[in-house]
Amino acid sequence: MKKMLLTGVLLALSSAGAVKVGVLLPLSGASSVSGQAARNGYLLALDEINKAGGVLGKPLELEFADDGSSPAKAVPEFVKLVTVDRVDFMAGGVSSATSIAISGPAKQYNTFMAWIGAAAVPVEDAFADHRYFFHYHPWSYYNFEAILGYFNTLKTQKKARNIAIAYEDGPFGSAGIGDTVAAFKKAGFNVVMTEKFKTGSGNFGPLISKAKAARPDIFYWVGYDTDALPLATEIKQQNLQVGLVYGTPPSWPVGFEKNQLADNIAGLSLWLPSSPQAESRKFVAAYRKKFGNVTEEYFAPLAYVNLKTLAAAINQAGGTDKDKVAAALAGTNTPTPFGPLTFSKSNKTQYQGFKAGNWLHFQFQGEGRVPVYPIKFAQKPMVWNK
Amino acid sequence: MDLFFQTLLNGLLQSGIYALVASGLALAVGVVGIVNFAHGEFLMIGAFLAWGLSTYLGVDPLLSLPLAAASVFAVGALTYRVSIRHVLLAPELNQMLLTFGLGILLQNLALMLLGGNTRTVTTTYQGSSISLGELSVGGPKLIAFGFAVAILAGLYAVLYRTTLGRQMRAVAQNRRGSQLIGINVDRVYLIAFGVSCGLAAVAGVLVAVLLFASPTVGLVFALKAFAIIVMAGLGNLTGVLWASVVLGVSEALVQTYVPGGGGWSDAVFFLLIFATLVFRSFRGAR
Repeated sequence: MKKMLLTGVLLALSSAGAVKVGVLLPLSGASSVSGQAARNGYLLALDEINKAGGVLGKPLELEFADDGSSPAKAVPEFVKLVTVDRVDFMAGGVSSATSIAISGPAKQYNTFMAWIGAAAVPVEDAFADHRYFFHYHPWSYYNFEAILGYFNTLKTQKKARNIAIAYEDGPFGSAGIGDTVAAFKKAGFNVVMTEKFKTGSGNFGPLISKAKAARPDIFYWVGYDTDALPLATEIKQQNLQVGLVYGTPPSWPVGFEKNQLADNIAGLSLWLPSSPQAESRKFVAAYRKKFGNVTEEYFAPLAYVNLKTLAAAINQAGGTDKDKVAAALAGTNTPTPFGPLTFSKSNKTQYQGFKAGNWLHFQFQGEGRVPVYPIKFAQKPMVWNK
Repeated sequence: MDLFFQTLLNGLLQSGIYALVASGLALAVGVVGIVNFAHGEFLMIGAFLAWGLSTYLGVDPLLSLPLAAASVFAVGALTYRVSIRHVLLAPELNQMLLTFGLGILLQNLALMLLGGNTRTVTTTYQGSSISLGELSVGGPKLIAFGFAVAILAGLYAVLYRTTLGRQMRAVAQNRRGSQLIGINVDRVYLIAFGVSCGLAAVAGVLVAVLLFASPTVGLVFALKAFAIIVMAGLGNLTGVLWASVVLGVSEALVQTYVPGGGGWSDAVFFLLIFATLVFRSFRGAR
């Protein structure tokens, strides 16, 4: 009895004063594939951090909250983590809409944000004057820079000139659409269709009919994983003759690669399990050991890198003082599954992690994602359907 | 001109799914007299059943239709027995709160048990289509439309050609009177509510083939089903198909011909509800 009591007291003492990190993720709703992948990445990183002695000599604690992919749910969850659970730092964040919604409370409580997702420029605007905002994911203009580079290659090699664009009408799809169209035109492409759609509606018949009438070489869509299969189905059913279907959802539906309708659909990813970097191979091995499988979602390694670098910065700062941790995190220069991570200025924020050069372009071929561009990472030639 | 006809065809095919979802809801409203806000969640159960049977047992979703219909009929009947029957004589607000709560409960149970991921099924006929010159008719949507027509015709036949159907219509018209002539009203309600849920599951199976299964997949369709039964007139089964066609084709026309129409298409059902209610009140005033 005494022994049990002593163990309990020791456990209580060991967790008192432990560093707590709040993790706000879309564990349900439209962005849940990314959110679930990120959760696994955080859990793996937590295991490794605590096995290596924790943070500031105590086990690191994570408090997960589900934002439901909904701004209305994200705000109270965020405020609860900060005010009730009294977390020291906030991590997570996938969707742009939820990140914009919490920008007000984040500034009100002067919260330290180590943020993995939210690529839309309005998020950058919202956090431009927040001194503790560290953004790991490339902003949408970096994504677009990578896409434009790939499409320029297709223009040269495949004579691709006409692009049809379909985009979801939330901040993720619509925020930069004007700039996207202008940039395509400036690069010498004809934008033959620009249509918005309601994500998750699954009603793409009229949109594909319009695309068919516009006769594009490339069909480019910006939406979420829920849109992938209905779009692919409609493209096949209406026999849309197009060289390449290229999508940029933050994640793809579970099992999409096994569906024959996914064949030859292309997209971009920060990472694939086949990425050759040593850090990537280590991550894949550790992930497989913990979860028994391997994910293809880059939000898993991104979350892993996010927590590992935050924990390292807290240890380096020797406490939870936000200025000291920010200075330590700003000085990060570490190898990751995506390549080296350093923070530098973006257009509007102080601390931006990954940029355009980190993106890979892949195509669903057979039952998996095969890197097809940049050429130095390509494992198979790209399939052009025209 | 091809674009116009393809748009009409797209709308017509989309209306099949809408009609399938709305037919069950119309039965619950028309016979039991309850507005079931959990209807979309019964659809979600059907979608997950199709996904589960397909993923783990390799059963084609279309073959899983009878099982999904029967098992969700049972879930619906149990739901009626445990909860719905106790509020049938209560104020309408209480009824709505109960079914709304049921919907939240079922959605969150799905989240707990299955997580929030989007699940898809793979079939050989998902991308199939029939070409009519330059026009294209999607196979699964054609199947859904065929099911909708068959189910509505079957429901109509049951309601007007069978004893159970006559009992349902009698109960819908006058509960007390039906009791007085010896109809077991409680049993009729149980069957009608169960069938309503079973029909939602049938729609859910087809939604899993056409789109995906997720805890929230029912919401979009349930909202549209409400618009349809308002347009058709509460409890009017024959009007459901026409109202579904009006909604599906209107959405398709807006998506194709209104600039930025893809973002406006979800407003169409609100507009149709508004227009229907204004028209009805105007006609009533005369």
